[in-house]
Amino acid sequence: MGIRLYQEPHLENPILVAGWPGIGNIGIIAVDTLRGILGAEEFGEIEPWDFFYPKRILIRKGVLEYLEFPSSKFYFKRTGGKDIIFFVGEEQPTEGGRVYAEGKKAYQMANLVLDVAEKFKCRRIYTSGAAVALTHHTTKPRVWAVPNSESLIPEIRGYRNTVLMSDIEGRGRHGNITGLNGLLLGAAKKRGFEAICLMGEIPVYLQGLPLTYPKASKSVLEVLSHSLKIEVTLDKLDELDQKVERRIEEFYQQIPPEIRGQLDRLKHMTYDKPAGPGPITEEEKKRIMEDVERFFKKRGEGG
Amino acid sequence: MSKEYPVKIHKKPKLQSSSLVLGWSEDMSNLGGKVTGYLNQKLKGQEFAEIEPDDFFSLGGVTIEDNLAQFPESKFYVCSERELVVFRSNSPGAEWYKFLNSILDVAEHHCQVKELYIIGAMVSFSAHTTPRELLAVVNSAEMKEVLSQYDLVRDMDYQTPPGERPTLNSFLLWIAKGRNIPGVSLWVPIPFYLAAMEDAQAQKKVLSFLNERLDLKIDFSDLDREIREQNEQLAQVRSRFPQIDDYINRLESNLMLSEEENGELIKNIEEFLRESD
Repeated sequence: MGIRLYQEPHLENPILVAGWPGIGNIGIIAVDTLRGILGAEEFGEIEPWDFFYPKRILIRKGVLEYLEFPSSKFYFKRTGGKDIIFFVGEEQPTEGGRVYAEGKKAYQMANLVLDVAEKFKCRRIYTSGAAVALTHHTTKPRVWAVPNSESLIPEIRGYRNTVLMSDIEGRGRHGNITGLNGLLLGAAKKRGFEAICLMGEIPVYLQGLPLTYPKASKSVLEVLSHSLKIEVTLDKLDELDQKVERRIEEFYQQIPPEIRGQLDRLKHMTYDKPAGPGPITEEEKKRIMEDVERFFKKRGEGG
Repeated sequence: MSKEYPVKIHKKPKLQSSSLVLGWSEDMSNLGGKVTGYLNQKLKGQEFAEIEPDDFFSLGGVTIEDNLAQFPESKFYVCSERELVVFRSNSPGAEWYKFLNSILDVAEHHCQVKELYIIGAMVSFSAHTTPRELLAVVNSAEMKEVLSQYDLVRDMDYQTPPGERPTLNSFLLWIAKGRNIPGVSLWVPIPFYLAAMEDAQAQKKVLSFLNERLDLKIDFSDLDREIREQNEQLAQVRSRFPQIDDYINRLESNLMLSEEENGELIKNIEEFLRESD
């Protein structure tokens, strides 16, 4: 079980940006898009066999040619004094049939990622994922941020379209981040790295669908690129978003009108200035959640 | 052998150059369990080692089958007179790489295993009257050459379809390749309506190959009797239920059945064979 580095690039003050699949693939799309835009170069990987079951086999004329595992790769990009290491994992290591990383394997993987961060003297780590929220798919997703150090809070408060997770109304300054995003944040704290998790909002009624949600990836990337002080154009994400948006609309129209009416009210969920018929009350939020849960339960039962 | 592999060796076998035959207990049609059990019975296999289950199986309780509590087992047997090692196990639910390497550690370091034979079954949409085939996937060109004189389908092309994963057998074959142990993964297509039952013809197909290849000198008269009995039972179903006969006739003519017809065929055959047992 270990790390394989194909080369050891000289990097100046690098930061590490990590992404894995998760709800709406928000984190991995954000990280992998930035990696692609910057043209980062692959330089290493975490050996997969202890973490993952193989994903593909090729047999040619009766001979086993190769077995392919989910990849966990490192890339680097020199940007002039603030270089970037990307870590892109194709899957999260899971145990006991769980959906997201948890347990010994996940902790081992988080620490291997941090080993690379330490080797290259990374000054900061960013992870990225999804925040399931009472929002509507036609509104711009915010980014929920969680730092692992008090000293990062003032900086995060200066990010646009970003809210500290513990500041969100009704959460009582608490919350949790499942999977490797959370684990890496905690393991980084334990090992003395500063780290921030950026999570793009996804509407609660979309979280269980087999769809990506590039609109939220774009919000995350806007914050990330601002924080890294790099300029990127996100046209590709816009194109992807338009395609997904059409599928979401198709799904949305299948929701019974009475529930859709409740969900439509989420369009008016604003945090700065109330708009339209006014902000949603706590009681209304509760009712919307109950309606959504009832709808999906019925749908899951084939009703 | 690395200490981290949780293997218990009860008695070290005396082997010079052996072959390992491996089967999974709850394989389709219980093929792996039946073939390894048959080899142990005929060749007087003696248990000599086992893999401890705690790292590899969910041990939240026990499953109950046929009124009996079951517990995962991963056991090695030696048939000393034939230089044969048999491994029979439930298929692990976690730490697959470690589990499969544990098997090969015992094979290499305690048994001098030189070749690996992995047993597997796959669904076929053919009738039971179609002769069983034996498909072979090898992990080296040399092994392919060695097996060229046997009645095997050896030129299969395959790529995992989207949404599916490779089998544990393929995973093991790949690890064996990395350890320079020549191996073959053997696959018998089993008629879909026998997948939850036992298929004596499929067992015989694998065993006949192993018998020839490893010079085991097994007398199959008991298995031939089982095949005859099963064929008679299936003939009875056909004569008693014209609809079932029609479905099987269509399969024999290489025609596909609808999903509903497949389900009806499976249900009727399983019910009849269970009542006959």
